[in-house]
Amino acid sequence: MGFIGKGLLEGMVVTARNFVGSYFDKERMVTVQYPEERVQVPENSRTFPFLVFDDDKNPVDTMRCVACKICEVECPPQCIYIVMDRDEKGKPQQRPKVFDIDISVCMQCQICVEVCPFDAIKMDNDYEKSQYGRFNELVEHLPDLLKSNEYYNKIKPREASGVDAKLKADKEKKAKKAAPAASKPAAAPAPKPASATARITIPDDAPFTPEQREWLGKFLVTATPAAGAAAPAGEASAAQLAAPATGEAPAGNWPWHDPGMGIQQRLELAKNKPLADLLMAAMAQTDCHACGYDCRGYADAIAAGSEADLSLCLPGEAETENMLKKLMEGAGK
Amino acid sequence: MIQPLTEEKGYTLTPGSEGLIETQTLEVSIGPQHPSTHGVFRMDCTLDGETVIALKPVMGYLHRNHEQLAERMVWLGSMPYTDRLDYFNSMTNNWAYALAVEKLTGIKVPERADYIRVIMSELTRLLNHTCVIGFMLQDLGAWGTPLLYAFRERERILDLFEAVSGSRMMCNYMRFGGVRVNMTEDDLAVAKDIVTRYPRFLDEFEKLLTSNEVLLMRTQRVGILPKELAINASITGPMARASGVEYDVRKVDNYGVYGRFDFRIPVGDVGDVYDRYYIRVLEMRESIKILQQALRDIPQGPYIAPEVKLRNFKIPPGDGYGRIEAPKGELGFYLVADETGKQPYRYHVRPPSFVNLTTLEDMCLGLKVADVVIILGSIDIVLGEVDR
Repeated sequence: MGFIGKGLLEGMVVTARNFVGSYFDKERMVTVQYPEERVQVPENSRTFPFLVFDDDKNPVDTMRCVACKICEVECPPQCIYIVMDRDEKGKPQQRPKVFDIDISVCMQCQICVEVCPFDAIKMDNDYEKSQYGRFNELVEHLPDLLKSNEYYNKIKPREASGVDAKLKADKEKKAKKAAPAASKPAAAPAPKPASATARITIPDDAPFTPEQREWLGKFLVTATPAAGAAAPAGEASAAQLAAPATGEAPAGNWPWHDPGMGIQQRLELAKNKPLADLLMAAMAQTDCHACGYDCRGYADAIAAGSEADLSLCLPGEAETENMLKKLMEGAGK
Repeated sequence: MIQPLTEEKGYTLTPGSEGLIETQTLEVSIGPQHPSTHGVFRMDCTLDGETVIALKPVMGYLHRNHEQLAERMVWLGSMPYTDRLDYFNSMTNNWAYALAVEKLTGIKVPERADYIRVIMSELTRLLNHTCVIGFMLQDLGAWGTPLLYAFRERERILDLFEAVSGSRMMCNYMRFGGVRVNMTEDDLAVAKDIVTRYPRFLDEFEKLLTSNEVLLMRTQRVGILPKELAINASITGPMARASGVEYDVRKVDNYGVYGRFDFRIPVGDVGDVYDRYYIRVLEMRESIKILQQALRDIPQGPYIAPEVKLRNFKIPPGDGYGRIEAPKGELGFYLVADETGKQPYRYHVRPPSFVNLTTLEDMCLGLKVADVVIILGSIDIVLGEVDR
């Protein structure tokens, strides 16, 4: 084999080669002189979540988050806290008033991103988050979290372009669906007043403020003879509302399926309809799939008895849950 | 508290000089804050002079309630927490948990996903074994040199992990029924590059270490683990194989697509620290063989089973045990699902480093304190997994 110490000498040759190589050989020059030099992080790289908004001029109104609270529930270390925005009357505004992420608790697992049905929360790759404090400084609030879609496209071009294409396709699909529904009542004169209540809807893009929209909705309901004879709007008891199932509502024609309405107004619109429709009107109408269905599917599942849990509607909060209980009790189930 | 082994093992204390001074044993607590304990492990050593006559491992300093946390969480919620068990090998931890759930539910994993899993876990084995050798040498007093060479190579693999999964160490990459993100052709090219380079690095590493006289003197015939004891104490992984136990879950279970690859299981003879070092080098060479085959054969296709729901994922009542050959040994997850099926009723981890650690005292008795450190290094523990 050789003499004693041969292995040592061979090892020293290796170290010498590595030492010299660390000055000349590109393979061995691995040190990056941070902060003068920075490594380009890969596109998939992730640090902490942020919220995407679409329009630079109006971040609050164009943010994609609808405060459905799926991420809050699914977050394994429970570091997200959301409060839904409401106007003075307590009507949900489909956006968060408070959205806090405690980044000292967040473990960067990306599960919030994966479960979000609205592509509203995404992972940032900014790794310089040093702070002087340990407590409040590490809680990110809504203004810190909001970042533009442009920024998202900049840091993750491949992923973001896919998301943009998907959202655009969804929007077109929705517009296509809405177009025949809107033209239908105009084309065919209402045969019965009762069905007219179901058909008069305010289009999504109608230029109304939420207050006007609510008033108009109520007006349309009370102005129709069949509905006008019923109990006064707002305080109608659920048992009265739960009319016996007398027929199927036409598929896809649910006037209450508008997240901008209040819950009482939606129930008014669904009055005298089968139980499943009433249940659906009590949902938050975001189709967020937080319950595992869309709003229609969850209502059908409850009505059919295949889903016993009434607390699954996250964006509807306690309001929906209480109303669902009331409706189910009223229906004698 | 600690029983000195005077009577039981026929050990007599070294007499004091000319019988003038009464000899006493000395209790030394090594750790938990000690650089050689690979984290926060504590050993209560009873010493006679420098000779260890009793050693009691004290665990639990890093206890994080992993199992109880998992029982309060939906199935998917535990996936990122498994990254934090053995924080060197998050990919294999992910796989073990996903495998247990897939066993319970009967989800079929697409072929490409299985190949990606093999590639990721063999790369993990490479980086784990390289680092372990580095740390072991660090324990011997080779300050930095082998460890930094190991880290240099490890960084290339971690860069690939970051490019694919988004994070260097806490990958959270696997999902029930597949993997979260597909590996692109670029990623596969990087993996191929790593695999072609690695043998050269291993040759250099071996030249530095394998026949180094100092290493031979410090490691040969030190910390011998007999074959019978290894079997009786259910030691697994490179430690068992160094003692001559031919047992590898990859061969025994053929989980994933391991049945398709041609590789051997290196087996040691003596079961000392040197064997444990050399077994790891040989295993890395076998891993490279597997990687070459996997990268050559990887098919196109879906990377996750399409029927698996991300949310409201439910498991029918029952129990199951999924195990894989993690770099440190057999890593298993025992899961029990009750009628609700939303959360685990029982979630148990069988961590390799915890079980392997149980024979520490048997290997250390009668040796010097300096040997205890290197024996501990050769067991290859990670405290995130020992304490959970």
